[in-house]
Amino acid sequence: MFFKKTKRQARFAGGGLVLFQSVEEAIAAEKTLRAHGYEVKLVAPPPKLRKGCDLAVEINIVEKAGVERLLRQQDAHFLEILPLKGVGELLDIVKVVNFDNACMVKAGNMKLTFDINTGVILNISGGGCPDIPFLHLAMVDKKITEVARPKENGHTLCALMLDRAFVEAAEIFNKEEI
Amino acid sequence: MLLICGTIPQAGASLVMGEVSFDGSRLAVGNTEIPCTQGTAALASAACVVAKHCGSAAPHAVFAGDTGSGKGSRLLYDYLSNNLPQLSPDILLMHYILPVMGLMKQVCAAADKCGKKPVMMADASSMYAAKAAGLAGQFDIFTPDLSEMEFLADPDAIHPAYISRHLFRADIACADDLIAAAFRQKSMAKTVVIKGATDHVIQEGKVKFTLSEPDLPALEAIGGTGDTISGMIGAFVDAGLTHLDAAMKALKANRKAGQLVQAKPATKVREIIAAIPRALNHN
Repeated sequence: MFFKKTKRQARFAGGGLVLFQSVEEAIAAEKTLRAHGYEVKLVAPPPKLRKGCDLAVEINIVEKAGVERLLRQQDAHFLEILPLKGVGELLDIVKVVNFDNACMVKAGNMKLTFDINTGVILNISGGGCPDIPFLHLAMVDKKITEVARPKENGHTLCALMLDRAFVEAAEIFNKEEI
Repeated sequence: MLLICGTIPQAGASLVMGEVSFDGSRLAVGNTEIPCTQGTAALASAACVVAKHCGSAAPHAVFAGDTGSGKGSRLLYDYLSNNLPQLSPDILLMHYILPVMGLMKQVCAAADKCGKKPVMMADASSMYAAKAAGLAGQFDIFTPDLSEMEFLADPDAIHPAYISRHLFRADIACADDLIAAAFRQKSMAKTVVIKGATDHVIQEGKVKFTLSEPDLPALEAIGGTGDTISGMIGAFVDAGLTHLDAAMKALKANRKAGQLVQAKPATKVREIIAAIPRALNHN
């Protein structure tokens, strides 16, 4: 199979792969992602990551949240989204730090702090991707039960880490309320 | 000239550039007002405060609107790749920009074409891109927090969300191990300032300075308190301080500002920034 690539596409190295069951699904997803402004390219997945067919879409793995949401919205079938190097799973360890009347939940590089009595999000810290200041504005000073999950509006891995902290924080707050 | 580059949380991927001004509450680039939130806006505000304190020129900025789609970030990368040699800043401070390894390589190549290579600083996602692309050695200053230090210490991770579980301990007691691992793997800039319960300044893999007083655990919860440190370091370097002195002064001022406002988890970064002028006068 031969795909003509532009110079920029040929140079692109995004560090992540979307894996598919069939070649047709991979080609359709590549078109969808490209039409929505994502820089992507069709590649053969390395043998150690291969599942399904022998064609994958390379993406900038940092954009995992946005890519995953778009493919689901478009009913594009895919098997998995994985980084090309390192551990395949997102870091799932969560740590909790208690202050007087506040609780800080840390997930990876993201921290969400909320008032344990009111559930109001007091602060969001850490992270570095461009959707974090946007999510900060959208969520801080609002009640944790009344805002959208970060993964619904975020685009990046930082947003997914914030989502992990958010889910844990919401669970802690709901338990406190009971 | 200190040139600050990053994204701001505004829809519409246009560039805003010019001299940065900050009057204690209102931040502007040229005539465009920017909301003083955590992130690059907090960094630029703190840099302005230090520039004023030192009597040096105001920083310049190139900001791009980007709420996460990456369109503004790509515009910013392209602008820097095409214009850095003409701009030739003394210090290039890169901050919240979608990490794109190939585009970061182009920016570094453009920096090499400046008459005099700028002092290269990266924080937040620009630091992620620099490390993931194997460009850490081309940078003079990184300013990670502890979880980002774990990322620098992981040879394979291309973002802090994918660091190995065994490295994620979020405990400053592990800092020495992380520093050694990151230095071995050449994932460190020449100076690395670790922001945490105990702040560390590392040069060539060795701890040159630590600071843990005043002890203010709430600072970790306040979004933007790491950004203010990075901005202050950039401005102190622009004022002529060594990288080590700039880092030490910024770390001390940040803690002092936190102490002055009696930082709590609900404190906002704008309150910390408002206290920095008084904190600088204490140092």
